Amino acid sequence: MKPATSLTRRHLVAGAAAAGASLALPGTALAQATAKTPLVGPLAPNPVEFKKTMEQFIGGATPQAEGLQLDVPVLADNPSAVPVKAKVTLPITEQDWCEELMVVAELNPIPLACRMQFTADTGTAEAAVRIRLSQSQTVHVLARMKSGKVLAAKQAVTVAASGCGM
Amino acid sequence: MSMNKPARVWVSNEKPKAGDILRVRAQMEHVMETGLRVDPATGKARPRHILSHFEAKLGGKLIFTWDPGTSIAQNPYIEFTFKARHSGELTMFWKDDQGATLTASKTITVG
Repeated sequence: MKPATSLTRRHLVAGAAAAGASLALPGTALAQATAKTPLVGPLAPNPVEFKKTMEQFIGGATPQAEGLQLDVPVLADNPSAVPVKAKVTLPITEQDWCEELMVVAELNPIPLACRMQFTADTGTAEAAVRIRLSQSQTVHVLARMKSGKVLAAKQAVTVAASGCGM
Repeated sequence: MSMNKPARVWVSNEKPKAGDILRVRAQMEHVMETGLRVDPATGKARPRHILSHFEAKLGGKLIFTWDPGTSIAQNPYIEFTFKARHSGELTMFWKDDQGATLTASKTITVG
Protein backbone atom coordinates (compact mmCIF):
# COMPACT_ATOMS: atom_id res chain seq x y z
CA MET A 1 0.00 0.00 0.00
CA LYS A 2 1.44 3.36 -1.09
CA PRO A 3 0.51 6.32 1.14
CA ALA A 4 -1.14 9.19 -0.69
CA THR A 5 0.95 12.34 -0.82
CA SER A 6 -1.78 14.45 0.80
CA LEU A 7 -1.93 12.11 3.83
CA THR A 8 -0.22 13.91 6.72
CA ARG A 9 0.25 12.92 10.29
CA ARG A 10 -2.58 15.25 11.31
CA HIS A 11 -5.01 13.47 9.00
CA LEU A 12 -3.97 10.13 10.38
CA VAL A 13 -4.42 11.13 14.01
CA ALA A 14 -7.84 12.64 13.33
CA GLY A 15 -8.91 9.60 11.35
CA ALA A 16 -7.76 7.17 14.02
CA ALA A 17 -9.58 9.06 16.72
CA ALA A 18 -12.81 9.05 14.71
CA ALA A 19 -12.49 5.36 13.96
CA GLY A 20 -11.78 4.60 17.60
CA ALA A 21 -14.85 6.51 18.74
CA SER A 22 -17.16 4.84 16.26
CA LEU A 23 -15.82 1.41 17.20
CA ALA A 24 -16.06 2.00 20.91
CA LEU A 25 -19.63 3.30 20.88
CA PRO A 26 -21.56 0.11 20.02
CA GLY A 27 -19.45 -1.79 22.53
CA THR A 28 -20.28 0.45 25.45
CA ALA A 29 -23.92 0.70 24.36
CA LEU A 30 -24.20 -3.09 24.35
CA ALA A 31 -22.55 -3.41 27.74
CA GLN A 32 -24.91 -0.84 29.20
CA ALA A 33 -27.95 -2.49 27.64
CA THR A 34 -27.15 -5.84 29.24
CA ALA A 35 -26.24 -4.31 32.58
CA LYS A 36 -29.10 -1.84 32.72
CA THR A 37 -31.98 -4.23 32.16
CA PRO A 38 -31.94 -6.63 35.09
CA LEU A 39 -34.96 -8.88 35.15
CA VAL A 40 -37.52 -7.84 37.73
CA GLY A 41 -40.70 -9.39 39.08
CA PRO A 42 -41.17 -13.13 38.96
CA LEU A 43 -38.21 -13.60 36.57
CA ALA A 44 -35.67 -11.84 38.81
CA PRO A 45 -32.68 -13.97 39.79
CA ASN A 46 -32.47 -15.32 43.30
CA PRO A 47 -28.82 -15.21 44.42
CA VAL A 48 -29.64 -16.29 47.99
CA GLU A 49 -31.38 -19.43 46.75
CA PHE A 50 -28.52 -20.10 44.31
CA LYS A 51 -25.93 -19.93 47.08
CA LYS A 52 -28.03 -22.14 49.34
CA THR A 53 -28.58 -24.75 46.60
CA MET A 54 -24.86 -24.93 45.83
CA GLU A 55 -23.79 -25.03 49.49
CA GLN A 56 -26.29 -27.74 50.38
CA PHE A 57 -25.01 -29.98 47.60
CA ILE A 58 -21.31 -29.36 48.18
CA GLY A 59 -21.48 -29.70 51.97
CA GLY A 60 -18.03 -29.63 53.47
CA ALA A 61 -16.28 -30.98 50.39
CA THR A 62 -13.93 -29.08 48.10
CA PRO A 63 -15.24 -29.33 44.54
CA GLN A 64 -12.75 -30.45 41.92
CA ALA A 65 -12.96 -29.59 38.25
CA GLU A 66 -11.46 -32.79 36.81
CA GLY A 67 -13.66 -35.76 36.09
CA LEU A 68 -16.83 -33.97 35.06
CA GLN A 69 -17.32 -33.33 31.39
CA LEU A 70 -19.88 -30.71 30.46
CA ASP A 71 -21.41 -30.14 27.05
CA VAL A 72 -23.39 -26.88 26.87
CA PRO A 73 -23.54 -24.46 23.92
CA VAL A 74 -21.80 -21.10 24.41
CA LEU A 75 -24.47 -19.42 22.31
CA ALA A 76 -27.96 -20.85 22.74
CA ASP A 77 -30.19 -20.13 19.77
CA ASN A 78 -33.30 -21.22 21.66
CA PRO A 79 -33.35 -20.16 25.32
CA SER A 80 -36.49 -22.24 25.88
CA ALA A 81 -34.54 -25.45 25.28
CA VAL A 82 -30.82 -25.28 25.93
CA PRO A 83 -29.21 -28.73 25.77
CA VAL A 84 -27.08 -29.60 28.80
CA LYS A 85 -25.11 -32.81 28.85
CA ALA A 86 -22.94 -33.97 31.73
CA LYS A 87 -20.74 -37.01 32.07
CA VAL A 88 -18.62 -38.17 34.96
CA THR A 89 -15.35 -39.38 33.46
CA LEU A 90 -13.92 -40.75 36.71
CA PRO A 91 -13.93 -44.56 36.82
CA ILE A 92 -17.34 -45.87 37.86
CA THR A 93 -16.81 -49.02 39.93
CA GLU A 94 -18.74 -51.20 42.33
CA GLN A 95 -17.14 -49.25 45.18
CA ASP A 96 -17.32 -45.72 43.83
CA TRP A 97 -20.04 -44.43 41.57
CA CYS A 98 -21.73 -41.09 41.01
CA GLU A 99 -24.61 -40.82 43.45
CA GLU A 100 -26.11 -37.57 42.36
CA LEU A 101 -25.85 -34.92 39.68
CA MET A 102 -27.33 -31.45 39.84
CA VAL A 103 -27.90 -28.82 37.14
CA VAL A 104 -28.14 -25.22 38.35
CA ALA A 105 -28.89 -22.11 36.29
CA GLU A 106 -27.31 -19.29 38.27
CA LEU A 107 -29.67 -16.43 37.31
CA ASN A 108 -32.96 -18.28 36.85
CA PRO A 109 -35.70 -17.36 39.35
CA ILE A 110 -35.49 -20.90 40.73
CA PRO A 111 -31.83 -21.80 40.14
CA LEU A 112 -32.11 -25.56 40.69
CA ALA A 113 -32.97 -27.00 37.27
CA CYS A 114 -32.93 -30.67 38.17
CA ARG A 115 -31.31 -33.45 40.13
CA MET A 116 -30.42 -36.90 38.82
CA GLN A 117 -29.55 -39.94 40.85
CA PHE A 118 -27.64 -43.03 39.85
CA THR A 119 -27.28 -46.31 41.67
CA ALA A 120 -24.65 -49.03 41.90
CA ASP A 121 -26.60 -50.86 39.17
CA THR A 122 -26.24 -48.00 36.66
CA GLY A 123 -22.57 -48.56 35.92
CA THR A 124 -22.23 -45.17 34.20
CA ALA A 125 -22.92 -41.55 35.06
CA GLU A 126 -24.10 -39.56 32.10
CA ALA A 127 -27.27 -37.59 31.50
CA ALA A 128 -28.62 -34.90 29.20
CA VAL A 129 -31.60 -32.59 29.55
CA ARG A 130 -32.94 -29.42 27.98
CA ILE A 131 -33.32 -26.42 30.24
CA ARG A 132 -34.72 -22.92 29.77
CA LEU A 133 -32.80 -19.82 30.72
CA SER A 134 -34.30 -16.49 31.75
CA GLN A 135 -31.21 -14.60 30.54
CA SER A 136 -27.57 -15.06 29.58
CA GLN A 137 -25.85 -16.71 32.52
CA THR A 138 -23.63 -19.48 33.81
CA VAL A 139 -24.89 -23.04 33.99
CA HIS A 140 -23.35 -25.09 36.78
CA VAL A 141 -23.28 -28.87 37.04
CA LEU A 142 -22.24 -30.60 40.23
CA ALA A 143 -21.70 -34.29 40.87
CA ARG A 144 -21.31 -36.16 44.13
CA MET A 145 -19.51 -39.48 44.21
CA LYS A 146 -20.19 -42.30 46.65
CA SER A 147 -16.79 -41.56 48.22
CA GLY A 148 -17.95 -38.05 49.07
CA LYS A 149 -15.90 -36.38 46.37
CA VAL A 150 -17.70 -33.43 44.72
CA LEU A 151 -17.06 -32.51 41.10
CA ALA A 152 -18.03 -29.15 39.64
CA ALA A 153 -18.14 -27.74 36.13
CA LYS A 154 -19.65 -24.60 34.67
CA GLN A 155 -20.21 -22.93 31.35
CA ALA A 156 -21.33 -19.41 30.46
CA VAL A 157 -24.26 -19.39 28.03
CA THR A 158 -25.36 -16.41 25.97
CA VAL A 159 -29.01 -16.43 24.97
CA ALA A 160 -30.75 -14.28 22.39
CA ALA A 161 -33.91 -13.65 24.45
CA SER A 162 -35.64 -14.93 27.53
CA GLY A 163 -37.02 -18.44 27.52
CA CYS A 164 -40.76 -18.11 26.96
CA GLY A 165 -42.11 -16.80 30.25
CA MET A 166 -39.33 -18.43 32.18
CA MET B 1 -55.54 -33.68 30.61
CA SER B 2 -51.90 -33.85 30.02
CA MET B 3 -49.74 -36.96 29.90
CA ASN B 4 -52.18 -39.03 27.87
CA LYS B 5 -49.86 -39.24 24.88
CA PRO B 6 -47.33 -42.05 24.85
CA ALA B 7 -43.71 -41.13 25.50
CA ARG B 8 -41.17 -41.43 22.71
CA VAL B 9 -38.37 -43.73 23.76
CA TRP B 10 -35.19 -44.69 21.93
CA VAL B 11 -32.66 -47.25 23.13
CA SER B 12 -29.31 -47.52 21.38
CA ASN B 13 -29.34 -51.32 21.36
CA GLU B 14 -32.05 -53.67 22.61
CA LYS B 15 -29.89 -56.78 22.17
CA PRO B 16 -26.55 -55.80 23.70
CA LYS B 17 -23.67 -57.95 24.89
CA ALA B 18 -23.17 -58.12 28.64
CA GLY B 19 -21.34 -55.01 29.82
CA ASP B 20 -22.26 -52.85 26.84
CA ILE B 21 -23.21 -49.30 27.60
CA LEU B 22 -26.73 -48.48 26.45
CA ARG B 23 -28.02 -45.00 25.80
CA VAL B 24 -31.67 -44.12 26.36
CA ARG B 25 -33.43 -41.05 25.04
CA ALA B 26 -36.98 -40.36 26.16
CA GLN B 27 -39.34 -37.49 25.63
CA MET B 28 -42.91 -36.97 26.73
CA GLU B 29 -45.41 -34.17 26.33
CA HIS B 30 -45.92 -31.84 29.23
CA VAL B 31 -46.82 -28.16 29.47
CA MET B 32 -44.20 -27.46 32.22
CA GLU B 33 -45.98 -24.36 33.45
CA THR B 34 -43.54 -22.58 35.78
CA GLY B 35 -46.04 -20.72 37.93
CA LEU B 36 -44.19 -17.51 37.03
CA ARG B 37 -46.16 -16.59 33.94
CA VAL B 38 -49.02 -14.14 34.18
CA ASP B 39 -52.19 -14.80 32.24
CA PRO B 40 -52.92 -11.51 30.41
CA ALA B 41 -56.69 -12.18 30.49
CA THR B 42 -56.97 -12.45 34.28
CA GLY B 43 -53.78 -10.73 35.44
CA LYS B 44 -53.04 -13.67 37.72
CA ALA B 45 -50.11 -16.06 37.59
CA ARG B 46 -50.84 -19.39 35.94
CA PRO B 47 -50.47 -22.09 38.59
CA ARG B 48 -47.37 -24.23 38.49
CA HIS B 49 -47.78 -27.53 36.70
CA ILE B 50 -44.54 -29.38 36.05
CA LEU B 51 -43.19 -32.86 35.67
CA SER B 52 -41.60 -33.61 39.01
CA HIS B 53 -40.25 -37.14 38.89
CA PHE B 54 -38.87 -39.70 36.46
CA GLU B 55 -37.36 -43.07 37.15
CA ALA B 56 -35.97 -45.93 35.09
CA LYS B 57 -35.59 -49.52 36.24
CA LEU B 58 -34.01 -52.51 34.59
CA GLY B 59 -35.62 -55.77 35.67
CA GLY B 60 -37.09 -54.03 38.72
CA LYS B 61 -33.74 -52.58 39.83
CA LEU B 62 -33.57 -48.81 39.96
CA ILE B 63 -30.89 -47.42 37.66
CA PHE B 64 -31.76 -43.77 37.22
CA THR B 65 -34.00 -41.11 38.72
CA TRP B 66 -34.55 -37.53 37.67
CA ASP B 67 -36.30 -34.76 39.57
CA PRO B 68 -36.99 -31.86 37.21
CA GLY B 69 -37.65 -28.32 38.43
CA THR B 70 -39.24 -25.33 36.74
CA SER B 71 -36.15 -24.65 34.60
CA ILE B 72 -36.65 -27.82 32.57
CA ALA B 73 -37.91 -27.15 29.05
CA GLN B 74 -41.41 -27.96 27.87
CA ASN B 75 -41.99 -31.53 26.72
CA PRO B 76 -39.20 -32.81 28.97
CA TYR B 77 -36.38 -34.67 27.31
CA ILE B 78 -34.11 -36.96 29.26
CA GLU B 79 -31.10 -38.92 28.09
CA PHE B 80 -29.06 -41.29 30.23
CA THR B 81 -26.78 -44.27 29.89
CA PHE B 82 -26.38 -47.49 31.82
CA LYS B 83 -24.36 -50.68 31.67
CA ALA B 84 -26.32 -53.71 30.43
CA ARG B 85 -25.48 -56.36 33.00
CA HIS B 86 -28.57 -58.54 32.70
CA SER B 87 -31.66 -58.96 30.55
CA GLY B 88 -34.90 -57.48 31.67
CA GLU B 89 -37.63 -55.01 31.08
CA LEU B 90 -36.44 -51.41 30.99
CA THR B 91 -39.37 -49.58 32.58
CA MET B 92 -39.73 -45.84 32.66
CA PHE B 93 -42.11 -43.90 34.85
CA TRP B 94 -43.06 -40.21 34.79
CA LYS B 95 -45.07 -38.35 37.40
CA ASP B 96 -46.12 -34.71 37.51
CA ASP B 97 -46.95 -32.49 40.47
CA GLN B 98 -50.67 -33.06 39.98
CA GLY B 99 -50.27 -36.81 40.28
CA ALA B 100 -50.65 -37.74 36.60
CA THR B 101 -48.41 -40.62 35.56
CA LEU B 102 -47.05 -42.14 32.38
CA THR B 103 -45.12 -45.33 31.77
CA ALA B 104 -43.13 -46.83 28.92
CA SER B 105 -41.00 -49.93 28.59
CA LYS B 106 -38.48 -51.66 26.33
CA THR B 107 -37.28 -55.23 26.51
CA ILE B 108 -33.52 -55.53 26.86
CA THR B 109 -32.09 -58.92 25.93
CA VAL B 110 -28.44 -59.39 26.86
CA GLY B 111 -26.86 -61.90 24.52
